Amino acid sequence: MLGYYCRLALKSFRHTPGLTALMVGAIAFGISTCIVTLTVYHAMSGNPIWWKNNVLYAVTMDSRDPLPTGSLADSDSLPDQFSYADATYLYGSSIPRHKAIVATMSGALSGAPDQSAAALVHLRATSMGFFRMFDVPFEYGGPWDAAADRGPEPVIVLSRDENDKLFGGADSVGRSILLDNHPFRIVGVLDRWNPQPQFYDLTVRSFGNASDAYIPFASGVQLRLWPHGHVSCWGADDPHTYPQLIGSSCVWILLWVELPDAASREHFRAYMDAYWAAQHKMGRFQRPRDNSLWPVSRWLTHHHVVTDNSRLLLRLAFAFLAVCLINTVGIELTKFLRAAPLTGVRRALGASRRHIFLQHLVETAVIALAGSALGLALSWAELDAIHALYSGSNDAYGLLAHFDPLGVLWALGLAALATIIAGLYPAWRIGRVPPALHLKSQ
Amino acid sequence: MMTLNVRPVLSALSRNRTGALLVALEIAIALAVMVNAAWIISQRVQEIESPTGIDTRDTFAIGFAALDGRSDIGTAEREDLAYVRSLPGVIAASATSSVPLSYYGQGGSVSQDPGPRAPAILERSLQVDESALDTLGVHIIAGRSFSATDIQPLSHKIFSGSPEAVITQSLAHRLFPNGNALGKPIYAGDNSPIIVVGITSDFIGSVWGMPSYNTVLYPQTPGGFGAYFCLVRTRPGDTQALLQRAQRHLATSNPDRVIISAQTLEYYRQRLAAENRAVVIFLTLVTALILSVTCLGIFGLTAFNVSTRTKQIGTLRAVGARKRDVVAHFLIENAIVLIVGAVAGCTLALGFGYWLSDQYQLPRLDLHYLAIGVVTLAVIGQLAAWQPARRAAAVPPSVATRTI
Repeated sequence: MLGYYCRLALKSFRHTPGLTALMVGAIAFGISTCIVTLTVYHAMSGNPIWWKNNVLYAVTMDSRDPLPTGSLADSDSLPDQFSYADATYLYGSSIPRHKAIVATMSGALSGAPDQSAAALVHLRATSMGFFRMFDVPFEYGGPWDAAADRGPEPVIVLSRDENDKLFGGADSVGRSILLDNHPFRIVGVLDRWNPQPQFYDLTVRSFGNASDAYIPFASGVQLRLWPHGHVSCWGADDPHTYPQLIGSSCVWILLWVELPDAASREHFRAYMDAYWAAQHKMGRFQRPRDNSLWPVSRWLTHHHVVTDNSRLLLRLAFAFLAVCLINTVGIELTKFLRAAPLTGVRRALGASRRHIFLQHLVETAVIALAGSALGLALSWAELDAIHALYSGSNDAYGLLAHFDPLGVLWALGLAALATIIAGLYPAWRIGRVPPALHLKSQ
Repeated sequence: MMTLNVRPVLSALSRNRTGALLVALEIAIALAVMVNAAWIISQRVQEIESPTGIDTRDTFAIGFAALDGRSDIGTAEREDLAYVRSLPGVIAASATSSVPLSYYGQGGSVSQDPGPRAPAILERSLQVDESALDTLGVHIIAGRSFSATDIQPLSHKIFSGSPEAVITQSLAHRLFPNGNALGKPIYAGDNSPIIVVGITSDFIGSVWGMPSYNTVLYPQTPGGFGAYFCLVRTRPGDTQALLQRAQRHLATSNPDRVIISAQTLEYYRQRLAAENRAVVIFLTLVTALILSVTCLGIFGLTAFNVSTRTKQIGTLRAVGARKRDVVAHFLIENAIVLIVGAVAGCTLALGFGYWLSDQYQLPRLDLHYLAIGVVTLAVIGQLAAWQPARRAAAVPPSVATRTI
């Protein structure tokens, strides 16, 4: 029966090729617009580490100086980061299963065979927990161990791109390289890893490239590498030397912990609160207590990672799809009703209302499928174009406009379903037409 | 003659109520989307075009950082500045601590009163030399700018150590809403006064979050952070060529420092506007597509109606209607659907516009856009139905006498 309906549908299309092309084309454009905006939106709002959403937490405490009321300061939001003293104290806790100190520094790498001149690189000064907690994949070697964090030892992990640049992509584990003229031993090379948004460090921007190299935090401090990310100071703090920076209450260090169950979470909260109380008595932390543990999803929402623009475009894209669907429904309704004489003959020959309904539904479904297939191809091309247009800069659209199969399939399914649902009314209407009305000769 | 034609139109419409209503609905949504999209586009274009206050077309910036914290960056800075000033085609060059319109920079807060507890205004801080304002194309509107002797040498004491500063007009208004800022002291979180010696026209400093016109210029040699930037203003048209030439030379002229960036200011300006531009492009495409889909829909449906109502048209012609009347019949039918759609569309557009301005902090929809939208849709909608209507007029009256 299905084959027969398909043949009837094709016959009907041949009868009105222009209208059919219009319907398919409109649906294709509507679907592709929705897919493109959905892809960008989904990539922007997606949690790149969703499988760990209930164990990973960003730690924050409100260490700002209390300002007088009626301040003219335009934006003074809760700090993401900690000062050196606070970060090292909280990091010292043995409660979390894994923990990571995360800071941004910059240094000059030199001494590699494929290198002509020294290069300034974006350094992530962190701890071995970083790689474990964020499931960072390695191509060669692995992360350093806890002893290297404590030592600290001059060890370094390179990103894949940096390894390509310095060693031509070869296995460089065990080799030595100079960071600011100090020898460092390469213990690992990462595989491709650049989760977007960069949930682990949203202080400078939400989307961008991952770091070029990773070193133990204490090694960075030992080398007196100045923080290269976002540094905020309050009150009279104005450090000019490294010891001043370490001793100040300027914040420049992020803290992430892995707390697998409610018990460890409560335990860690108590630890934070005890530290807060002690510091409060000494005159620090004068603002109302605000110690928080942020799961990644809430962390991303808190940072407004999804911009208003992408939400707006998403809504307009759906409005456009609605217009295309209504267009289709209107055309189909008219077409079906005008073909009523033919339907009357069929009914007279014994087709039940259900048969008529199914036949016309199949016709709608063929258009829906054709439109969806064309829409899919169109959106592939559109995403490619966006990627080409924006990939030069570090813009979000360039990084995000990659074809995300899951998101696209979801969008496609939704649109195809919507088209078929939209076709229900015309198919039902034509089924209700009394056959005798159209069997009279005109 | 015209009133006689409306009744058959209405009765024809009533036979295909749902179809006509669907077209009206499509027109309503299309109008709502198009009008609001056009409104948002105009807002965004305004934002893109909003003045940076800087002459971005003829200026580029090269950023440098010391490889080793101990090397003397002051010498490198002097040499680099001397080199770029020696290039033919360079009008002015200056050493600064960051590039306006870029994402790297420093900021703080300043207030009228001393002490860390005084109410303060966030600003972007910029260390400059005596040529900075000329290089950027920024004007002094009150007081004076810095002379070469005012510029403090390179040190680690940054910003707040300065005895004087130049601020932008917008910051001056916010700090001293009642009067002249010239000669008054401002404080950057401690008790040492910084005297305002000059006020400049507004310009956007380095960007963090939203671009801001509040900037404080300090007469200090940059490099205390380990980085400095050479801003260079060239003769019109020479900017790209000079940027490449300078970059090639400076990349290898000094092993103690590396180039960390080399871009025209126009690049930074475009990058700031990138998201807005993407929105404008997308909205323009969607508007064009919606208009096309709606038009083609009207065209297609009218053509289809004509092709299936040939007997009625023939009958009309047989009882005396002229070709003109047949065309008018279909155009009036289309017009009624357009009017119903437009009325519903106006309500929808206003509602949608109200909701958008609420959600996204946009100003209220300008009714001019609504009027233009209605007229555009009406004209294009009628044009779409024109060709099928003319084909209807070509149906001969003899069709009425045939039985099939």
